[in-house]
Amino acid sequence: MFKNVAKYVALTTIGLSAVVPMVQVHAADSKRQNIVFWHSMTGQNQQAIERIVNDFNASQTKYQVTPEFQGQYVEALPKFLSVGGTSKAPDLFQSNEISTKQLSTSGMIEPMQTLIKKYKYSTKNLRKNILNYYTINGKLYSMPFNSSAPVLYYNKDAFKAAGIDDLPTSPTYEQVTAAAKKLKEKTGSAKLSILPYGWTFEELLANQNQTLVNNGNGRKKTATKATFNNKAGKNIMNWIKTNASAGTLVDYGTGANAGDTELSAFTSGQIDMFMNSSASLGNIKKNAKFNIGVTYLPRPEGTKANGVVIGGASIWMSKGKSTKVQKGAFEFLKFATSAKEQAQWSIDTGYFAVNTKSYDTKQLKDAFKETPILAAPVNQLKDTKINAASKGALITAMPKERVNTQNAMENVINGKDVDSELSKAEKQTTSDIKQANEQAGE
Amino acid sequence: MKKASNLKFRNESALGWLLLLPSFIILGIFVFYPMLKTFFLSTQLTDLMGNPIKFIGFKNFSNLFTSDSFMTSFTITLIFVFFSTLLTLVMAYLMAMSASQKIMGIAVFRTMFSSTMGVSVTVASILWLFMFNPQIGMFSKILTFLHLPQINFLSDPTWSLVAIIGTTVWMNLGFAFLILLGAIQAIPQDLYQVADLDGASWLMRLRKITIPATSPTIFFVTVVTLINAFQTFGQVDILTSGGPDYHTNLLVYAIYQDAFVNHSVGRASAQSVILTIIIMLFTMIQFYVKNRKGANYANE
Repeated sequence: MFKNVAKYVALTTIGLSAVVPMVQVHAADSKRQNIVFWHSMTGQNQQAIERIVNDFNASQTKYQVTPEFQGQYVEALPKFLSVGGTSKAPDLFQSNEISTKQLSTSGMIEPMQTLIKKYKYSTKNLRKNILNYYTINGKLYSMPFNSSAPVLYYNKDAFKAAGIDDLPTSPTYEQVTAAAKKLKEKTGSAKLSILPYGWTFEELLANQNQTLVNNGNGRKKTATKATFNNKAGKNIMNWIKTNASAGTLVDYGTGANAGDTELSAFTSGQIDMFMNSSASLGNIKKNAKFNIGVTYLPRPEGTKANGVVIGGASIWMSKGKSTKVQKGAFEFLKFATSAKEQAQWSIDTGYFAVNTKSYDTKQLKDAFKETPILAAPVNQLKDTKINAASKGALITAMPKERVNTQNAMENVINGKDVDSELSKAEKQTTSDIKQANEQAGE
Repeated sequence: MKKASNLKFRNESALGWLLLLPSFIILGIFVFYPMLKTFFLSTQLTDLMGNPIKFIGFKNFSNLFTSDSFMTSFTITLIFVFFSTLLTLVMAYLMAMSASQKIMGIAVFRTMFSSTMGVSVTVASILWLFMFNPQIGMFSKILTFLHLPQINFLSDPTWSLVAIIGTTVWMNLGFAFLILLGAIQAIPQDLYQVADLDGASWLMRLRKITIPATSPTIFFVTVVTLINAFQTFGQVDILTSGGPDYHTNLLVYAIYQDAFVNHSVGRASAQSVILTIIIMLFTMIQFYVKNRKGANYANE
């Protein structure tokens, strides 16, 4: 009896596993053209991206976009590179900003400029700084989608309790240090965090109008050398050192979760000042029980803030897809970057709206009225001077550069010499750039 | 007659090969092919997609041995493996001995001691991450309470390795404890009774009975813990990501970074080959020691 039950279960399982794929094949075979979209959004952001996809699928009957989560950016990129150029490659692929150089030279993608020309689309409403990042030699390679930039967050209530004035819109290193010292005096503990993270270093460098690598940050032609062992680089490191030796700096280390630890330390009041992506604003707003202050990224005294490089990701189109797929994919990208969708996306996630017209929509206007601090990151982006430094570095060895500068930052926090650490990091980055160029045959 | 037996032999060996075929195919696809490919890639300059471009001989290796970051990785991996294996073994053995006593409610302690087996690497690392937090972590609170200077466990070059070793030992304890407990409990009680009659001290009984009787198990646990230690990944990623300045950049983590983040498959393959050789060496040494020991016992 039981033996037979087991047999039936086994048979049914085999039977079902044979039928299910057929059903799927059938579903895909319906009249709508299926478009596969790989993304790396999790949690709140995943819901937001799926909402855009569902809205698009409901808005027309010709195309069906299927979103597939493929792990974080770091995990998704090797997956894409291993199937790129074959029929298994997704039609659309979301990838982070630092993979731009690699993807644009991989031969696996169709430059966005081709589609823009083919389908007569105008990018005039998309924000210039963001387009600049993904534009190489005048050609837009991918569609801007989720963009963010770093800002400085601080706890206004803690400042008031310690008798410190609010920070100005564009504070200096010296002002931040002075505030950190006062907070330490009043509370007895360190209240400022500067995470040893390569990205922070890049942004602080760009804010001083200094490129990370030569040849116009690798945008005029392939970069061959790192260029951050100079006054600007030293300013950053000395600022870190000053705070580390004054005991006003908390160091959360370099672990994969260090950023999350830092963020929750801020919202729970253990630290009162830190720098992070503007995309975290939504999260901070939700969890902090105090008045939040948001300012531009700090700059050294006596210099003007140059502005920031945008971070985040963009969407790439695979090469070699049929015209029908291309057309549908482009329809989707137009939809996803439209004023209305970007406004909602910005509210849902905290990323910038890449479409400037989004800021004229009622939903975003209302959101700004309700929470005025949302304006600081956008204003910083508007005030950003457009030049090689703010366009951001275009190199393949970016992950290595980040580790090198991160190590230098961590070593300086641990008391090592600024000059020798910077020179070591620059030399190592130059050799990493050379190696990557050799690998790419450049 | 002779011909028939020959035929039978040939049939039998054919059958044998046939039966072995599935495992050969599976091992071939998933073990031998990737291994050979890794050896091949370690002699190549690879492009950014990981495809070989040109043969460069041992250049990947010579580059590694002249690079500071690899030498740091290499040294700290050996330190890490030595201490985490030793500490796991000693602590698990002590725990197993104390839990092998026959007192009431001992089952509760046995369950507690082996409970770390049920915690995944990620969960364990996150738990320890909280404990290492420089402001609200348990260790920071204890140091404050004892009026000792604060230690930032995850960003200090020396202490970060200690932190990773501590986490790893804690994670390995449950498994090692359980296996060792089984071995200790399997020792015949009459040996101890005879020793008691002779008035042997606790240390004497440990040296002459417990350790010799469990030595095959100790050997097994050492091999497993050692190889596990060489392959440590999760706790490094979550606690330090290899930092500060490569001081916790264990080999497997370095390989992952080079292959999947830095897109240097050639360099990563060369490191894999080095790791393979190290693990092979350790295994060979251990088997050699074990065989000699076995021979000694047979003589006695």
